[in-house]
Amino acid sequence: MSASREGAMAPAAGHSLAISDVVKTYVMGSTEVNALRGVSLNIGRNEYVAIMGPSGSGKSTLMNVIGCLDTPTSGTYLLEGQSVSELSDDELADIRNRQIGFVFQTFNLLPRANVLHNVELPLVYAGVPRAERRKRAEEAIARVGLGDRAHHKPNELSGGQRQRVAIARALVGNPSIILADEPTGNLDSKTGEEIMQMFDDLHAAGQTIILVTHEDNIAAHARRTIRLKDGLIESDVTTGVQVRAGHGAPGG
Amino acid sequence: MRLGLDAAESARISLSAIMANKGRGALTALGIIIGIVAVITTMTAANGLANTFRESFSAVGTDVVYVSRMPWVMVNDFFLYRNRPRIDLEESEQLSVNLRGRAIVNPTINMNRPVKYRSNTVESAEIIGTTERQVMVSSVVPRDGRFLMPFDVQYRRFVCIIGDEIRDRLFGDTNPLDREIYIGRNVFRVIGVMPKQGGSAFGGPNFDLQVFVPVTTFEKLFGGRTAGRDVNIAVKAPTQEALADLEFEVIGEMRKIRKLRPAEKDNFSINKLDTLVDAYNNVMGVVLLVGLAVTGISLFVGGVGVMNIMFVSVTERTREIGIRKAIGARRRSILMQFIFEAGVICLFGGLVGILLAWLLTLLIDATLMPASISPGIILLALLISILVGVIAGIVPAYKGARQDPIEALRYE
Repeated sequence: MSASREGAMAPAAGHSLAISDVVKTYVMGSTEVNALRGVSLNIGRNEYVAIMGPSGSGKSTLMNVIGCLDTPTSGTYLLEGQSVSELSDDELADIRNRQIGFVFQTFNLLPRANVLHNVELPLVYAGVPRAERRKRAEEAIARVGLGDRAHHKPNELSGGQRQRVAIARALVGNPSIILADEPTGNLDSKTGEEIMQMFDDLHAAGQTIILVTHEDNIAAHARRTIRLKDGLIESDVTTGVQVRAGHGAPGG
Repeated sequence: MRLGLDAAESARISLSAIMANKGRGALTALGIIIGIVAVITTMTAANGLANTFRESFSAVGTDVVYVSRMPWVMVNDFFLYRNRPRIDLEESEQLSVNLRGRAIVNPTINMNRPVKYRSNTVESAEIIGTTERQVMVSSVVPRDGRFLMPFDVQYRRFVCIIGDEIRDRLFGDTNPLDREIYIGRNVFRVIGVMPKQGGSAFGGPNFDLQVFVPVTTFEKLFGGRTAGRDVNIAVKAPTQEALADLEFEVIGEMRKIRKLRPAEKDNFSINKLDTLVDAYNNVMGVVLLVGLAVTGISLFVGGVGVMNIMFVSVTERTREIGIRKAIGARRRSILMQFIFEAGVICLFGGLVGILLAWLLTLLIDATLMPASISPGIILLALLISILVGVIAGIVPAYKGARQDPIEALRYE
């Protein structure tokens, strides 16, 4: 049951990322675990993709590969036309810094740093000078509606606010992709909806977003849903339909 | 530029990390504090000892050589020296004549005798038989009264000049001039009092316990050569630079006076300040070595403590490392962050150590000997403490820097 296997084709120009025949094998003691068994996938600019699958399906591994946290055992991965499958740790760090904006289930903010410092951190590692860094961080914070909280510590914020800080941090470096791993997993449903709304808005503004989730109602925000099972793509469905009304015209 | 930004971020995050664990940081720094106190105290003590030494032997004079039967510092066995003939006053007089116009020659004989005035006694006064030329050699002149004159020496007069402590202990507030004191069983009239000079460290003479009498009187009463007492001849060069040449002239003249054949070895010794300085340097070398060994050990132990706590810090902040790496921190950035943290802990220890050492130095200065901390030592202490921090931080920081971001993010 493999629908629309775009990824089998050669990566086309205009694709944000192009993964082909990616295999990821972990060695655990004496046994080998095939987390990904040949995944091919293209994701274009301004796509809004949900990656779904039960635990053990390889979804986390795929996310790690897409997020350049991990390199595939075999296969190729082109991110913005650049091959990232055989880069060193530091080169991957630079790619993550420039191309990927992470949003995690557990927010993953630095507890001792205030909102501003957390948000400007990617720019610190990008080598952006202090004044520009501050300006861009403040813009990103304003964009997620936390302009008045810039000098608060994460433990002084609610869960929803923390996740917004994480989104601001993901946005601040103008990444090619926002990669969100269960972004609403630690939030109540109302707050979760607010966060999803924010992703919808970002998408409407032209951002490429990849959600990793196991919740259908979260995945329903995306335009395209990729289901993984046993390390393979089980289905890849582009709905093209905006579930929530009133958020921009369906694109495509 | 990027390095600068890294450093600023490292400073920011390491300071906040240290502030979050103040007690732990302070305890860790304790090892460094002790080490730095040891460094500074060792150096300061060495400096202080050197100064005290210089002061103690300043009377020896940098422009004077001494002709004596024995060397001040024996490098060979005693029996090589003990059969040498004693130096007597005639030899001194002969040397004085031969070196006329080139140097000032002054013979002295020493012994210890009790001195008494009425019911007051000083048991171990140093009685020095000398001449009027003493003041030209040592350039210390009496505070009250006068020093010996040529006629005191020529006529073997029973006059003396006493040191400040002798004056104090024999006379208290009474004016000692023209009073008569007993040296042994002989009566001497006090004609002068020397100023207070201090000094007794390192076996150097205590100048304030000295009593000067005419060398001729001394010889007549206590015997010179025959009583087994050596005459020491001080030969003062016109300038410090002339001393080296003078030393060879003195050797030549002494050999002439003693009619030594060319093949014969000198049967007298030439002593000078350098001899003492060399001996002192040998002793100080050992003292410094021991001090530095103690210092090194304490800094090593302190450094191991820092390394230990940095391992804890890196482990505790595995998740933070994961976050930083996920958003683009390179290995070097993480490495710098933790090395910086270790450096700051040690720098803090260094600063506290400097403060404590400063207080300790004040205490030493007030009680034991003159001591002060030089800016160079402070700078050295700061450098050492930072260096210890960096070295102690490298291994834990490297452990942190090579964490896999996925594993690190999963760490609870």
